[in-house]
Amino acid sequence: MFPGPTVLSAVTAILESALNRALELDPAGHQALMEALAGPVQLNITDPITFTYTLDRAGKRVRVGSQPVEQPALEITGKPIAFAALATGDDRVFADGRLQVTGDTALAHQLQRALNQLEPDWEAAMARHIGDVPAHFLGQRIRGALRWSRQAFHSLNASIEEYVHEESRSLPGRRELEATFADIDELSLRTERLEARLTLIENHGKTDEPENL
Amino acid sequence: MSEQQTPPRQAGNSNGQNDVTHFGFRNVPKSQKASQVAEVFHSVAGKYDLMNDLMSMGIHRLWKRFTIELSGVRPGHQVLDIAGGTGDLTMKFSDLVGPSGKVVLADINASMLQVGRSRLTDRGYAGNIEYVQADAEHLPFPDNNFNAVSIAFGLRNVTDKDQALRDMTRALKPGGKLMVLEFSKPTNPLLSKAYDAYSFSALPLMGQLIAGDSESYKYLAESIRMHPDQETLKGMMENAGLVNCKYYNMTGGIVALHVGIKP
Repeated sequence: MFPGPTVLSAVTAILESALNRALELDPAGHQALMEALAGPVQLNITDPITFTYTLDRAGKRVRVGSQPVEQPALEITGKPIAFAALATGDDRVFADGRLQVTGDTALAHQLQRALNQLEPDWEAAMARHIGDVPAHFLGQRIRGALRWSRQAFHSLNASIEEYVHEESRSLPGRRELEATFADIDELSLRTERLEARLTLIENHGKTDEPENL
Repeated sequence: MSEQQTPPRQAGNSNGQNDVTHFGFRNVPKSQKASQVAEVFHSVAGKYDLMNDLMSMGIHRLWKRFTIELSGVRPGHQVLDIAGGTGDLTMKFSDLVGPSGKVVLADINASMLQVGRSRLTDRGYAGNIEYVQADAEHLPFPDNNFNAVSIAFGLRNVTDKDQALRDMTRALKPGGKLMVLEFSKPTNPLLSKAYDAYSFSALPLMGQLIAGDSESYKYLAESIRMHPDQETLKGMMENAGLVNCKYYNMTGGIVALHVGIKP
C-alpha cells in the first residue's frame, strides 16, 4: 500500500502545522473555523489517487487526519482542483456539483464562509523574525506587487478581448453573442411549445373517435 | 550477524525451562526480568526523548501520530496509556478527551513516570491526567473501564505478554480498542539487513555517546529481535479475547501497530 502510514502521517503533520500556524495569524478566522468544525469533517479526494483527510478540533488546534472517522458531521467529495477552488473562495463549487456534500449542508457553507474570511496577518509573522520596520517595508512591496499583478492580469484580459472582438474580428462581441444565445433560447422555447400543442391536438383527435364501435 | 547477535532459542519452550524468560538475547529467571528492565529505564530516563529522536531520526513521532489517529478517541473518553513513559501519547490523548474525559498514564518504572509527569506539567497538561505506577500484567483498574488502551514500545519489555494482553483486554469497555505500537519484523530482506547493521552498531554507540550507557541500547536492539513478529502478536491478541485484530506495518515493518476490539 502506498503511501504507507508513516508517509500519510508526515503529510498530515505538515498540513496540520501549516494550517494551525496560519490560524494563529488570524484570531477571527481561527474562531470562525473552530465554530465550523463543531464535528469532524471528512474530505474525500477522488482523483488521481483516492485519499481521505479529516479536519477536527483538538483543544484550540485543528487536527488533520488521514483515516476515515466513524461519524463525520460533514463529508465533502471531489477532485483536488475543486478543493483548491473552495480554499481560494470560489462560492460555486457546491452549486455546480464539483464538490459533493453528504451530511449537514449548512455546515458546508459555514466552512466555506470561514475559509473565505481567513486572512492571516503574514506581516506580523514576518515582524517577529526580522523586526517591524523591515517587515512593514517588505509587506508593502509584496502587497503592491500583488495589486499590480492583479491589475496587469485584468488589463491583459481586457486588451486581448478587445483585440479579438473589435480589431481582428475573429470572434463575435460579447453582447452580439448574448443576443444570439437569447434568440436561440427563445426559438428553442417556442419549438417546445409548438411540439406540445401538436401533441395536444393529436391526442384530442384520438379521443374524439367514438369509443364503442 | 555476529555470534553475539544470534538470538537464543525461545526460553520456556523446551528443556522444561518454564521459569526463565529472555532479556535481550540472554535467558534470565522470570522473577528477575522486571528488575533488569527497570534498571535499563532508570539509566536512560533522563535522555529518553532525545535518544528516541536521534535513534529514529524523529520518525517515532509519526508512528505515534498514526496510533492517535486510529484510536478514535473522542471528548469524554477514558484512556489508559500503559508504559506511557515520557507522555508523548498521553499529551495527544489529553487534548482529544478534553476536560470531560480522563487519561491515565501508567508505567512500571518510577523514573520514567517522574520524567513524564514533570514534562506534561511543564507543558500545562493537568486536570484530566492521572499518573499510576502499575505493572501491565496486573493492572489496578476495574473491569470494563476504558474506551481505549494503548501500549507504545512497552510490550516487548513485559515478562508475560499473554497475561498483559489479557489484563489490558479486561480493563477495556466492550467495544473499546487496544492499540499495541511496537517494533516488529521488517518485510523487506534488504531493509532488514540495513536495520540489523544500524541496530547493533549505531544504537549502542549513540547510547554510549549521548546517554553514557551502551548496554541499555544493546538490550533495546536485542529485545526487538526477541519480540513476536506481526502475525504472532496478532494471534496473541486474538487469544486474549480481542476481535477484528489487524496490524499496520510502518516504515517497512520496522514498527507495527496492532489494533484489536473487545467484543
